[in-house]
Amino acid sequence: MLHAPRDEWPDPDAFLEDAYERGWTDGLPVVPATPEKVEAFLATAGLDPETVLGAVPTREVTVTAEHAAINAVMAGCRPEYFPVVVAAVRAHLDEFGNCHSTTGTLSGAAQALIVNGPIRQELGIASGMGCLGPGFRANATIGRALRLVIRNVCRSVPGFLDRATFSWPLRYSFCFGEDEEAGDWVPLHVQRGYEPEQSTVTVQSVMRMVSAWDSTSRDATGVLDSIVAETRYHGFNGDEFLGDGTNIVYIMGREHQRFFFEEGWSKAQMQEYLWPRLDAETAGLHDRRFKLGHPENILLVAAGGAGMAETWILSPHLARAITRPVERVAHTPSGRSAH
Amino acid sequence: MSIVALDPTSGPIGESTDRRLAPRPVSLAGERLGVVVNGLGYCERFFDALIEELLDQTELGGVVKVVKSSVSVPPDPGDWSRLTEGATVAITGFGG
Repeated sequence: MLHAPRDEWPDPDAFLEDAYERGWTDGLPVVPATPEKVEAFLATAGLDPETVLGAVPTREVTVTAEHAAINAVMAGCRPEYFPVVVAAVRAHLDEFGNCHSTTGTLSGAAQALIVNGPIRQELGIASGMGCLGPGFRANATIGRALRLVIRNVCRSVPGFLDRATFSWPLRYSFCFGEDEEAGDWVPLHVQRGYEPEQSTVTVQSVMRMVSAWDSTSRDATGVLDSIVAETRYHGFNGDEFLGDGTNIVYIMGREHQRFFFEEGWSKAQMQEYLWPRLDAETAGLHDRRFKLGHPENILLVAAGGAGMAETWILSPHLARAITRPVERVAHTPSGRSAH
Repeated sequence: MSIVALDPTSGPIGESTDRRLAPRPVSLAGERLGVVVNGLGYCERFFDALIEELLDQTELGGVVKVVKSSVSVPPDPGDWSRLTEGATVAITGFGG
């Protein structure tokens, strides 16, 4: 039985205008969450409406499966996307996902959702050309569903509990898949302890997203040195709360990937090369130590298309990267291609 | 054709049926001042200077200073108790 209050509107236009009036949207139109749609979403994940996905204790908020389903409908998700949304919500609401801080901060941190496993192809979650931008329904709506939960359920509304000075467009939606087929690297979720055939979502808070653009280097170490330099140029703020669990995410595009595939570098070798160089003592205003507890805290993700010789750096805001499995009742491949 | 849809929120934004803001004091004279330092930048130095300034200007009933152990999470339970039991008005900065 669904528990959320419900109302009736004479037509879709009336619903949409009232949704704006009530502050239910991120500024973009939303889909009405009818009881039938919400129940269909819950069924794909095999969850009861009152199943607790997580909480924000500082805000006295508990997020249920029903909350997540309503917001996933409104985001424009298909029912089969919902288990991915559930995994993302659970990851974000982990204690070390630090929802309260990352969604209230002046810095306007966003959340990056990195999807691994077979579900990428099943749902059409893009990991190749253009995967960080608009145009892919699964990417756009799954990321948006998490943000609507953050707004509507966790109460991160601008001027209320969201105190972002500027905010930024990544807070509309930021979801993509790892291009696990690009080469022979171990996928992110396998590095984090999951089986290759499992599907997962990793949520990383993002305070800063900058490009380590290097079209000059002609070998792997040159590219890695560029990444280190760009990372240390911007630095980051840590937090004792996170212990040694702070992560950084590098989204490496194909033009950089190929050096590593040609020279036979594994992700583990790249992590071992990067870590001491990131961890070196601060040498100046734009050469600052990036303190990470272990090489394994460096998360390397292959994604993107051919062309631009760059690696995107996702610097964290006061949270760890959290990975959760995607759990479904029945496997229903959609037959969609991600590329 | 009419549409029935569900409320996506956990409650009305900005409203609370359980909590109300305490009335703003007319003056700080006699009040026990609580200060919460989140540890960012030079905020502790700022708050120490602010406390000195207020002590110069008014007869405070006392000062409770809490320095959080971590910038992004609430004060420890012990510090919360000191604050809620010892202070009648509080100042906190927001940053980061």
